[in-house]
Amino acid sequence: MNFTDYTVEDFVCDESFQRFCLEDPVADYHFWNNWITSHPTRKETIEAAKQLVLILSAQQGGRLTHLQHLKDGVERHDFLQAAIGNTSSRTARWKYWAAAAILGMLLGTAWLINHTTTPLTPLSQEKSNIISSGAIPRKSMVLPDGTTVVLRSNSALTLAPEFNKTNRQVTLTGEAFFEVSMHSGFPFTVHTTAMDIKVLGTIFNISAYPNTTITEASLFKGKIAVQIADPSTPPVILMPNQKIAIGNIKPYSISTLAADPVSHKATEIAWVRNRLEIENEPLATIAVKLGKWYGIPIQFADSSVKQYRYSGTFESETIWKALDALQLSYPFSFKMVDSTIIISK
Amino acid sequence: MSFDAENKNYWENLRKGEKQALFALYNNTYSHLLRFGLKTCANDELVKDCITQLFLQLWNKHKQLNPVTNVTAYLFTALKHQLLDQLEIEQKIHSAIDNLAAESFGQELSYEDIIIQGQHDEEQKHRLQLAMKMLTPRQMEIVRLKFFEGLSYDQIAAQTSQSVKTTYNTIYDAIKILRKHLK
Repeated sequence: MNFTDYTVEDFVCDESFQRFCLEDPVADYHFWNNWITSHPTRKETIEAAKQLVLILSAQQGGRLTHLQHLKDGVERHDFLQAAIGNTSSRTARWKYWAAAAILGMLLGTAWLINHTTTPLTPLSQEKSNIISSGAIPRKSMVLPDGTTVVLRSNSALTLAPEFNKTNRQVTLTGEAFFEVSMHSGFPFTVHTTAMDIKVLGTIFNISAYPNTTITEASLFKGKIAVQIADPSTPPVILMPNQKIAIGNIKPYSISTLAADPVSHKATEIAWVRNRLEIENEPLATIAVKLGKWYGIPIQFADSSVKQYRYSGTFESETIWKALDALQLSYPFSFKMVDSTIIISK
Repeated sequence: MSFDAENKNYWENLRKGEKQALFALYNNTYSHLLRFGLKTCANDELVKDCITQLFLQLWNKHKQLNPVTNVTAYLFTALKHQLLDQLEIEQKIHSAIDNLAAESFGQELSYEDIIIQGQHDEEQKHRLQLAMKMLTPRQMEIVRLKFFEGLSYDQIAAQTSQSVKTTYNTIYDAIKILRKHLK
């Protein structure tokens, strides 16, 4: 079909164009967005036609914007539920952290746990208490409590015995990015040789490679308490966008995270972020790319989903965020089964 | 799977706590709920917000939700209550409250009223009113089926016992008239 000669009336009467204007779930967004950008001289015609379609439909468009509102609302709700649920816990220390969490929320801290859109089946407890990444650049996983972790190369995470049953203690060598789940009654503690980090639901990065002298913890959301290995130093509370470094300056130094001039995101986690540029590619191809980058196998339970095509550029810290972003265009579901992500309709 | 069967399936998964089922149900029923809401309240933003609120509440109480035979009808009723509450709070659109509260729930706004009330600009409202008057009742009906009810040309042709070509031409002519008077 040759749309270049189309008048306003022709566009208004075109069913594919109507679906595009009304943000129908089956609309061909890729085609129309492309056509509009590649035909700048037809902009006025397109605008006039779109206006008319919206008037005659009584403004039925806007599904995608409102779907995003719904998703944000659901996440805020889940966050609140988790925060309230945790205050009934036993220990005084835990109450303190829960109170800190609620306070942080009241102060307007954006606390979103982004990977919770899909129920994830975490690693089975017996399988491994030591998870190591070896030579691969990144390895993604979900711990038994729902915490998501991305391990950098040559790093290892050891879960304490009875993890998520009587405690949530892990020991890290190397570097890892954490999004701590709040759906548990125990404080989450990361031990490294130079410091211990205690958290509630938060997002942070720790670099603690044994062969370097500097250990760093960078906080993105929430609040963490850092206890330096030297017990005479009192614990340090870190606020979002702060970084603590141990090793070069005694006893420690706190600085603001350096933002990348292009993406405005912290350079500390550039290793974990994937800038994915997709140009009309099917989900099958995108999944291969994502799986390779985040170090996690992806399988399809349903081959019809493989054909969904996407375009766009986005950056995500975890594969779950990346998949969440893709879900906005076409609804599909994903879950974790035995350290593998399964995508289905 | 039929539309109702799909919705029922999403409903069952939602009850199990699958967040994705909530969004799938939302995407599947959005246009239907929106049209239903617009017929009683021509404020599209209000209707859209009520739909979002409705789904948030479903998520909020998904553990307590019961099995429902007709999910679509359930959602329509729930949206009706949501709109009623909202309108009562706002105390703005009295005629719509009367419509909604009426036992019959039958007094729907006409298509013409809905799209004219949906315009925020007074001048545009006036021009649209004049332009719509230029359409024949038949043109108006077919434009409504196409743009408001979202039917395809094939479906309209079958419903009005005329050819697809005639249907298309009727709409084309109507659009041309509207364009001329809206400029």
